Amino acid sequence: MLKHLAQRMLMSVPVLLGVLLLGFLLLQLVPGDVARVIAGPTATQDVVDQIRGDLGLDRPLVVQFLLYLGRVLQGDLGYSMINNTAVSSELAQALWPTAELVIACLIWAIPAGIALGAVAAMNRGRWIDRAVIAFSVIGVSTPVFFFALILMIWLGYHWQLFPFLGRSGPIWTLEGLASLVLPALTLGLSFIGPVARMTRTSALEVMNADHVRTARAKGLKERTVVLRHVLRNALIPVVTLIGLQAGFLLGGAVVTETIFSWPGVGRMAVGAILSRDLPLAQGAILVLALCFIVINLAVDLMYAALDPRVKAA
Amino acid sequence: MSDTALAPALQVSQRRPRPGMLRRLARDRLALTAGLVLLAIVLAALLAPWIAPHDPYLTTRRRMLPPVWEARGTWTYLLGTDSLGRCMLSRLLYGTRATLMVGITATAIGGAIGMLIGFISAFYRRLDGVLMRINDVLLSIPAILLGLALAAVIGSGLQAIIAALVVATVPTVARVTRGAALVVMAQDFMEAGRSIGLPDHTLIWRYLALNCISSVFVYLTLRFAQSILLGAILSFLGLGAQPPAAELGMMASSGRNELFIAPHIATIPSLAIVVIVLCANILGDALRDLLDPRLRKL
Repeated sequence: MLKHLAQRMLMSVPVLLGVLLLGFLLLQLVPGDVARVIAGPTATQDVVDQIRGDLGLDRPLVVQFLLYLGRVLQGDLGYSMINNTAVSSELAQALWPTAELVIACLIWAIPAGIALGAVAAMNRGRWIDRAVIAFSVIGVSTPVFFFALILMIWLGYHWQLFPFLGRSGPIWTLEGLASLVLPALTLGLSFIGPVARMTRTSALEVMNADHVRTARAKGLKERTVVLRHVLRNALIPVVTLIGLQAGFLLGGAVVTETIFSWPGVGRMAVGAILSRDLPLAQGAILVLALCFIVINLAVDLMYAALDPRVKAA
Repeated sequence: MSDTALAPALQVSQRRPRPGMLRRLARDRLALTAGLVLLAIVLAALLAPWIAPHDPYLTTRRRMLPPVWEARGTWTYLLGTDSLGRCMLSRLLYGTRATLMVGITATAIGGAIGMLIGFISAFYRRLDGVLMRINDVLLSIPAILLGLALAAVIGSGLQAIIAALVVATVPTVARVTRGAALVVMAQDFMEAGRSIGLPDHTLIWRYLALNCISSVFVYLTLRFAQSILLGAILSFLGLGAQPPAAELGMMASSGRNELFIAPHIATIPSLAIVVIVLCANILGDALRDLLDPRLRKL
């Protein structure tokens, strides 16, 4: 198990380096003089030179990248060009709301998707099965922002059930929780389709397996057969799917946060890019990539917990 | 020439199931409908300059008119007008044009590069390891992040979106192509072609590529749907087409300001995206089921 974990962590090193390189090149590829951009149009040449020296911009690219790596490892992501605050502290504040949103989405969407998929598989070919298939195909074909707009118009504006702008407080307060409902619903709606579909497909596959026939033959209750023998095995591809969809989920979070003015990392990244605040954009993209890697590691661990064969390997 | 003698025989054996496939596709009423709707949308987008009832950029004083089926709607503006009094139907046609263009360009360029990498990877086994490791790294960077990063570097615009979609498409297509190509590589006729001394490019293009192109094309249909969806999302975030240009994602985004007074400005372009992506997905799924009947049973 530990060996498996260590292997997986080693495998994410190239990905992490790739993302860091991408983030580093981000500042290199910007047209014009970076030091001049950071200093602003009114700064004197002396100031620009000083900034260039401070950031090591006059050194070779490889050295610059290593210096950048060193700074990132120490948690120094530079300063926001607009607020002049440390990027790391801005991001630290935005990380929790993003985590809240993603976790709240997964908590309702995964069980709902699995339930829908299992019900569809058990009623294969009947109308309920077709309804679930239609729902999931439409779900994966709908852009996240459309769910957000519809929920805002109906649940937010017409029926006034939940607030739809910003985060009203920490999650343990009633207002904070209420403001989380619509963003979490939005993100979940875009996630439920693939989960339902994958559960249905893999449940159908497992239902025909020999061990399920044996379980039925020895007279187990249908509920036990479905829950213990079918679903547990059917969940393995579903867990993999969650890992594969992690990028999609983060992308959805970026859109959801932007629409609902949710103060998370995604909205920060978009805002920074649109206002050309490059250090902040770089930091935010790096943090989003880190989230992606962490989700995938977590999925791998769950995978090992569900499938003993992985542990042995 | 021995290779021209062999090749037609191979192609015949490969092509025989094709007419049957099209006929079977035509029998699948859902897939047929999806295909026809998609065709109609593409035609409408192509003909936009001739069939649009108004100039999509012309602002008028008749702002935020609702569509014709609502109480205040008029027949002059079938889908109403937006916040600047521009005809929604005309903008929708032009917007669909831009959105389809982004999706098709990205899928075509990304698909071509991806296929090339896949073929090379399967054919020259020595390069396989390196290519696939690079591929894995690219594959693990979420497409939205790529889009954000590229928009940060080259600035917002359709080029940034297309570039991001291409980079996101290449590794997935490369992997699918390599998978399909490896199966073909194991067939006897590849060995036969090699033994009669055919050059590599003939083996790759005439033998390998022709035999796995259909499964890769099916995948590209699904990938096209993904690209449209992703492109619309990036545009919605403000990283793509800039006003006053018409593009579906951007139109939906600009409708947010009047979401509660005139919801049609945001919902109509969003619905158009759903219809395009849905049709492409249904079509892609149906084609995949036809190619791989094992999946159909499920």
